[in-house]
Amino acid sequence: MEQVDKETSAREELTLSLGPQHPATHGVLKLVLELEGETVAKCTPHVGYLHRGVEKLGENRTYLSALPLTDRLDYVASMSYNVGYVVAVERLLGVEPPERAKFIRTMVSEMARISSHLLWLATHALDIGAMTVFLYAFREREWINDLFEMLCGARLTVSYPRIGGVRNDVSQEFLDSLWKFTEEFPGRLLEYETLIDQNRIWLKRTIGIGVVSAEDAANLGLTGPMIRGSGVPYDLRKFAPYDAYDQVEFDVPTGTNGDTYDRYRVRMEEFRQSNGIVRQCIEKLPPGPVMAPDAPKFTLPPKEKVMEDMEALIHHFVLVTKGPITAPEGETYSAIEAPKGELGFFFISDGSGTPYRMRIRTPSYVHALALPYLTEGSFVADVIAVIGTADLVLGEVDR
Amino acid sequence: MTFKYLVKTVFLTEILKAMALTFKAFISKPVTRQYPEEPREAMPGFRGMHALVRDSSTGREKCIACGLCGAICPARCIHIYSDEDEDGRKFAKRYELDLLRCIYCSLCVEACPVGAIAMTEHYEYSDYSRDAFYMTKEKLLANWDKYMSGKKGQEYFKKFYHPLADDFAEYEGQALFRGKAAERTRDAA
Repeated sequence: MEQVDKETSAREELTLSLGPQHPATHGVLKLVLELEGETVAKCTPHVGYLHRGVEKLGENRTYLSALPLTDRLDYVASMSYNVGYVVAVERLLGVEPPERAKFIRTMVSEMARISSHLLWLATHALDIGAMTVFLYAFREREWINDLFEMLCGARLTVSYPRIGGVRNDVSQEFLDSLWKFTEEFPGRLLEYETLIDQNRIWLKRTIGIGVVSAEDAANLGLTGPMIRGSGVPYDLRKFAPYDAYDQVEFDVPTGTNGDTYDRYRVRMEEFRQSNGIVRQCIEKLPPGPVMAPDAPKFTLPPKEKVMEDMEALIHHFVLVTKGPITAPEGETYSAIEAPKGELGFFFISDGSGTPYRMRIRTPSYVHALALPYLTEGSFVADVIAVIGTADLVLGEVDR
Repeated sequence: MTFKYLVKTVFLTEILKAMALTFKAFISKPVTRQYPEEPREAMPGFRGMHALVRDSSTGREKCIACGLCGAICPARCIHIYSDEDEDGRKFAKRYELDLLRCIYCSLCVEACPVGAIAMTEHYEYSDYSRDAFYMTKEKLLANWDKYMSGKKGQEYFKKFYHPLADDFAEYEGQALFRGKAAERTRDAA
């Protein structure tokens, strides 16, 4: 015993197991830190505590009924993940949604981005020690959840988009209250900035912490605000527009130093851009159908028609029980810009109603694996700041 | 080390600004809700506990035991055992739904060709036993009578489960941006 003590005190090394139940790890992430004094010498992320096998489940569900599984990937921005899934399936099946559905989807995925960034701001600030922002940010997040509830009847796990469109049309009440939200939200953003933007503790905890250069960010595979904070204007909404992103105007904010503070500034600016996109979508929302009218083999027919039209009845029964069995064979990779980064869906189709393989490229997984790079050499307290700035959601890390 | 920086460092200006905001929030109306005392009304079309639609003309369930809801269910929580009555009409002898497995995606409502299953706005259902969450046909029909009777049930399928697709003909009543129109009327007045 004495000998062991001597050895450890001579090396002054300590292995610290952070998580999986640590509140600052935002879920069930376990980090094994090897410390030299208070400096992190080695960081090993352990993931998999929340593994549910979503990819495998997707291979056993039809394209239609695998949609609610994607809600559970990133449960704070489930709308973006639904949109990513249906955009990928539409590209595989060759379905073109109508204009109105495209605008609605763009609108709701930007709402999801605001909601996700609000949760990030709240918990990130809370981890670093600024509790007040948490309460302010959740006030607005509650408003967005109420809007989602008004739109589709669910607050978090929305399952709102559908292959070839969206589930139901938006109501006038929803549009009006969303417009009211976009009018008030910039003022609320100023409140958050009053609280932390210049706060000396916040600046000390974020500036120069978790620095990643543009080249390293690209090599690590970082996407979303993580790479934009390093000054790379990589945004799939600009580079590979989907839905109605090519019809709205927005900027891609970037940072310069690639530290935690820059990523904070990038996300704060994204709030404003997303707010602007939502406003443009409301203004430009065209009238028309919200479900692709020319794809009866991939979209469910209207309910009135099912019991009257023989063909519609057959399509309905086949779609529900076997899925879109006329799906073309082949493979497709389709990526969208989720709030946390590039969300990709890779499908291999064998021509049946279920995918042969469904692979999901989630941003948080890549960001979790970049944690050793970001934390090694820094203090233990900064590990918490880095976990916060990476905006990890363990639901999508483990899938 | 400019003068401005010195003033900021010594007099804690940014902290005082934030404290002023906190004080403003302290004296304004709270946004929190004292939940159990002040219950929250769910929005229309909320995806809460299920109900089987009771046909007002026959007094029985509308369900024809086709099994589509069970087929599309991603959680595989609906179990149907069908039978035939004396007229040769197929019906669900047992219609069972495990609420603890259900993920409330409402795909069953969309899949049903006759509109026989609905989701009510009821969301407060905690209990002490698992059996209370295993819904049988009788329980689900009772849910319809309790939460969706009258006008609410009649309008339910028209309002929330009507994907406007190839039958789309009329544009009137569709939600559009009217912010500018509202501004114009405000300016005129």
